[in-house]
Amino acid sequence: MTRDRTASLLFLAVGIYGFFYSLQLPMGRWNEPGPGVFPIALSILLLVSGVSWFILGRPRGADKDLREKVRWGDTLKALATPLKITGVTALLILVFHHAGYLVSATLYLFVLLFWVSRYRFIVSLPLALAIGVGSWYFFHKLLSVQLPKGLLFL
Amino acid sequence: MDVFGSLASGFETALSLKNVYLCFIGCLWGTMVGVLPGIGPLAGITLLIPVTFGLDATGAIIMLAGIYYGAMYGGSTTSILMNVPGESASVVTCIEGYKMTLKGRGGAALFISAWGSFVGGTLSIVGLMVLAPTLAEFAVKFGPPEMFSVLLVAFVLLGSLGSGSFFRTMPMVFLGLLIGTIGMDPLTGSLRFTHNITELYDGIGLLPVAMGAMGVGEILIATEESLLRIIHKVKLRELLPTRDELRASWGPIFRGSGIGFLIGLMPGSAHVLSSFVSYMTEKRMAKRPEEFGSGRIEGVAGPETANNAASGSAMVPFLSLGIPTGPAPAVMMIALLIHGISPGPLFISKHPDVFWGLIASMYLGNVMLIILNLPLVGIFISLLRIPFRILFPVILLICLVGTYSVNTSTFELSVLLFFGILGYFIRKIKYDMAPLILAMIIGPTMELSLRQALMRSDGSFAIFWDSPITMTLIGVSLLLLVWNIYRGVRPTKASWEKALEEGS
Repeated sequence: MTRDRTASLLFLAVGIYGFFYSLQLPMGRWNEPGPGVFPIALSILLLVSGVSWFILGRPRGADKDLREKVRWGDTLKALATPLKITGVTALLILVFHHAGYLVSATLYLFVLLFWVSRYRFIVSLPLALAIGVGSWYFFHKLLSVQLPKGLLFL
Repeated sequence: MDVFGSLASGFETALSLKNVYLCFIGCLWGTMVGVLPGIGPLAGITLLIPVTFGLDATGAIIMLAGIYYGAMYGGSTTSILMNVPGESASVVTCIEGYKMTLKGRGGAALFISAWGSFVGGTLSIVGLMVLAPTLAEFAVKFGPPEMFSVLLVAFVLLGSLGSGSFFRTMPMVFLGLLIGTIGMDPLTGSLRFTHNITELYDGIGLLPVAMGAMGVGEILIATEESLLRIIHKVKLRELLPTRDELRASWGPIFRGSGIGFLIGLMPGSAHVLSSFVSYMTEKRMAKRPEEFGSGRIEGVAGPETANNAASGSAMVPFLSLGIPTGPAPAVMMIALLIHGISPGPLFISKHPDVFWGLIASMYLGNVMLIILNLPLVGIFISLLRIPFRILFPVILLICLVGTYSVNTSTFELSVLLFFGILGYFIRKIKYDMAPLILAMIIGPTMELSLRQALMRSDGSFAIFWDSPITMTLIGVSLLLLVWNIYRGVRPTKASWEKALEEGS
């Protein structure tokens, strides 16, 4: 699939969702436009864009850069690191309030350094501890940023 | 009070010990985030927003603006010495700057870049000082139809000035506008796209969106590549340019100031565009254009001046109309809103201390930055010795803390991650996220102005060509639209796009 066709799928998906959701909103009249008018107009424009790029984005034509095929094999290989980071970040968000900043941030850094950056255990652990505690001191103590206390009540 | 009287009182505010200190911190932090690839001015400003909570509005905006224009100074250092742009606006500086380094003239390139940034930055502050109050005075008379017309021009410009083609940028603008409608409708109180999630009632926060799309998305892309960095060292005595280099730089510096100032007034990727336009202008005006690409000082002087001038003029629409032209001014606008100050036509008359204090601090900041960026360049370069494998978890953590600290909400962290993934995906398919973010910011005002205008005219669209202002603005946007459609149908690459290809 070409890059333009991939983008067109995003525009179509959001356009369809926006269109059907907007239908439930009051449209009002021209002298008193309702809350549904703007979203429905935008959804239609997105649908038109999506359909246009789906047709125009076929794998031939002058603009080769964007019509080149997305090589999904290579993309999936390249996706490994971003996926790991996304997964670890999602886990951090889940435990952030309960575990508190100090614990969750240190663990987060340790997992990223050890698993993603591939530092050895004896390097990752002290590094994560130093950055975790250092950042907590910097943000919470020096800059007075509100951070969740969690398990350590800090 | 006249301009000079107001400026004098601005200097009184800016020269207080506290504000000088805040200006210095902003410039220092700005240079650091400019030097480090992966953290731009947007992330730099967002991270220090929580710090501004304990400050007054003047101190807050002085510090945040310092980061904004400081990042433009710092961005050129890595472009010249490593061929890695520290900031997107410095991409074009790599072409000639790095070649100069390879020829042993990296020091001179750094000097001219810092000097050009200083001149461009200072001249744009003069422009800002003159233009912003005049524009604000004019804009006070604006009602909903005029506001809608101004925003319509901004949107068509967004389409044409984005880094992609018009037809590829516009769907991103529509997407941003649609995201901007999420939350409670300001006129009727109806809830839109909220699905009973209370955190969405106030709409999606700009900070998590901008930080996610620009910060997290950038990191996710960067981790796909291995970053092998070769850093060239520069000695202090190598910083001085030769007489010929100095003579060759004056023209590009003044032309770059004009180009940067004009382009910075428009929404979109103004910094990037201004540096490309300046580069192409210098190449066209050169006696030997074929030498471009082999390390010409004009190719460093012009673009670096232009992107600094653009950062000054970008403050004009933001402060006088309340229309941010890029994600970084938009985040500064949020910081001002947190302090209870709304940028717009009444901002300068209601808060002259904040406005003139900011202007005076920008003069001061430019002097600080030239000192920071020339003799102390080695200190900033040493930041680049931190391996990216350590740097990226720290940047991610900073993005998370910066987002969390504004509303202490984990929901906003989820939004950050979602837009990080979206930003990554959009970059992979070579579309541009910046128009989406800008559309999201300006969208609610545009919708409100349109609906209020139609209510006022009892549903008649004639209200948009009743006054000469709206008629002119609608005419301009229609002309731009036709031109963009013509360019989209008959695609020819702009000269700056060709220059980028040649350079890379």
